[in-house]
Amino acid sequence: MNPVERANQDAPTDRLLAFIEFLRGRDILISPADSLVAMEVAGLVGYSDRTLLKSGLGSALAKSKFEVTVFNEAFEQYFGAPKSDTDSDSSTPNQTAEQDATALSPQELGEQLSQAIQAQPELAANLSSELVDALKSGDEAAIAIAVETAAQQVDVSAIKLLTQRGQYIRKMLDALGEQALRDAAVELESTEPAAFEAVQALREQLRNKVRDRVDRAYMVHASGDAEDMLDDALSNMSLGNVDQHHRARLKRLLERMTRKLAARHGRIRKRVKRGQLAIAPTLRKAMATDGVPFQPRWRKSIRRKPQILILCDVSGSVAAYAKFLLLFLHSLQDVLPRTRSFAFSSNLGEVTETLRALPVEVAIERVNLKYGGATDYARAFEDFARLAMSDINRVTTVIILGDARNNNTDPRLDLLAQIRSKCRQLIWLNPESQRSWGTGDSEMQGVIRNCDTAAECSTLKQLERVVDNLLVELNS
Amino acid sequence: MSHSFEKLNSVDNIVEALATAGYICNEQIATVVYLAAALGKPVLVEGPPGVGKTELAKSCAEVTGAPLVRLQCYEGLDESKAIYEWKYGKQLLYTQLLKTQLAEVMDGAQGLRESVERLHSFDDVFFSKEFLEPRPLLQAIDSEQSVVLLVDEIDKADFEFESLLLEVLSDFQVSIPELGTLKGRSKPLVFLTSNDTRDLSDALKRRCLHLHIDFPTTQLEGRIVRARVPQITQAMTDHLVEFVSRVREMDLKKLPSVSETIDWAKSLVLLHADSLEEDLVRSSLNALLKYEDDLTSVVDNLSGLLSQEQKVTDA
Repeated sequence: MNPVERANQDAPTDRLLAFIEFLRGRDILISPADSLVAMEVAGLVGYSDRTLLKSGLGSALAKSKFEVTVFNEAFEQYFGAPKSDTDSDSSTPNQTAEQDATALSPQELGEQLSQAIQAQPELAANLSSELVDALKSGDEAAIAIAVETAAQQVDVSAIKLLTQRGQYIRKMLDALGEQALRDAAVELESTEPAAFEAVQALREQLRNKVRDRVDRAYMVHASGDAEDMLDDALSNMSLGNVDQHHRARLKRLLERMTRKLAARHGRIRKRVKRGQLAIAPTLRKAMATDGVPFQPRWRKSIRRKPQILILCDVSGSVAAYAKFLLLFLHSLQDVLPRTRSFAFSSNLGEVTETLRALPVEVAIERVNLKYGGATDYARAFEDFARLAMSDINRVTTVIILGDARNNNTDPRLDLLAQIRSKCRQLIWLNPESQRSWGTGDSEMQGVIRNCDTAAECSTLKQLERVVDNLLVELNS
Repeated sequence: MSHSFEKLNSVDNIVEALATAGYICNEQIATVVYLAAALGKPVLVEGPPGVGKTELAKSCAEVTGAPLVRLQCYEGLDESKAIYEWKYGKQLLYTQLLKTQLAEVMDGAQGLRESVERLHSFDDVFFSKEFLEPRPLLQAIDSEQSVVLLVDEIDKADFEFESLLLEVLSDFQVSIPELGTLKGRSKPLVFLTSNDTRDLSDALKRRCLHLHIDFPTTQLEGRIVRARVPQITQAMTDHLVEFVSRVREMDLKKLPSVSETIDWAKSLVLLHADSLEEDLVRSSLNALLKYEDDLTSVVDNLSGLLSQEQKVTDA
């Protein structure tokens, strides 16, 4: 099959498949069955009407509100602004040439080149290939096919990194035979300035086409991988060290983890609904029907809802971690039981309402302002005991986030022991690495003795594991 | 299996046909309806309450002339209420009536083993289709004529119920342990609606086409109001939808939906209003807003909202 036929036949399906690949790179799960549906949809609505195709594909591929936004964005990006590119739409044939400062019409270009050939006949071979003709006449379809063929020759879809762009552009230009044009340009530069300009314009035009093709290949085949790599690195990086400009990405990662955890734990809680047969009430009810147990009664299991109390150190050293823990737990409100949050550095206060009323980001800023300062665990525990000790019972989980560094004063661990004796479990999360626990003014050794679990939570991955375990524990 | 949804054969036709049924929709909605009819796949309609999710199914039924079978979901809904149930009463009654026949069959049987064997030689008459009480889902696929099946508020049903739906939705068949698999006789056009109170399972999502209906643009909402409340003037409609869209930008507990806009328009017509006076708005606003808090916060900003809107219409 020659390239022209192939471009006409397979192009739409190939592009659709590549688009699906592109969507997968952006976190949309698309099964092979979904792609089949997408193919059917595209077959029904056709490729000519853009909005129709968009809403049709959207209905088959985007399965939630979140995915719809991603899909819409990706569709615009991938299929470009409403203009046709590979079809030979003759309204924009020499767009690139026009953008050039020395805009030349196809005729002028042709004239310049033929003059050059007359002046230097040895360049004729260089300046009369099919490609040059296509470039000269602005035959977009022919150029597109040539570029596509070159792309397949050098296997541009293997591109992995952004830094490989230049290399691939060069390879494709070589495959297209741009060398001949370059040689001609070198020859003409000193002798025929006008023809030199013309050749340069052609080269520029070709280069733009090739660059677009390579960029598209990168966007489709590699940007997803690169993103994954970055995401992976970020979720294993200590939260306190993440750069400001990566914060947004981190938040997105966190949202994704939240969604995952919510999906995993949202369903389990229903399991306890079925009760056992309650003999006595059944018999009592059966008295009305002559002892025949028509209506069975079920034993009602009263489950006391678990409760979580979180104490977060918001002093400078731990604030970044506290922010993410609070963000995490508060975006999990659908699957988590009642959660009350407290913030402290020297004194402690309840911040549940603030977190509920305001968007989490804003709320955390405000909490930081109000309670930030130097840490004093003794005072914090005293405040906490006064505020919430009477609310702690056997279904309460207490989570404390802090580095346990108390500036060499008594941290009142007896209060911590008292809290532990009243609650179901006490979890201490420390953003410092385990190696430094207990060094310097860290009271971590004493803390470990007085809590059920002590865990490190400096990275997003660790945070995820902690919350995951917590949810498993609470739902069992 | 056959379709009877010829009217849904192109996007433009659907927009037109639905408009005659009083349902004004955009091209996106029509595209999905068209695909659903063409591919025979269910549509999962999501969106805030009151944007016309249920109404879409009703209008499709009206347009195609197909009967509408509706299944309202709630917590605790199970297969005996959604798919089928045995007619226990009928079974009992028949065994009583057939007592003499049974006695004849058993006549002369020696011992328990022989009696049971003789009973075995008869078919499972009491578990045949005659004793089956079809519930909405079975009704929908077992009808001669294709129907429009509306499974309303699927998110209210239990998680287990979604799994029950899968067989019906993807293969249009029902497996009954006593009878085997019942293949449907026609393919229904299925709409599932969800208010997004919880995530649906991936398995269910995968079998559906997805449609997110959001609040309409002011232009579209204007057309909807005009279609539903013909007595209202054009100028008044413009004011009204502009005002509602501004209210939707506020931070409210529950944003006013399209159906509430229509209700408000109706009440304004009843009050013979021809422009949005501040007093009038204040007194009729409870048609639009359903929470006391929302009501007070809108009333507090009322003059601002109205003057803003005036400026826009003047310009």
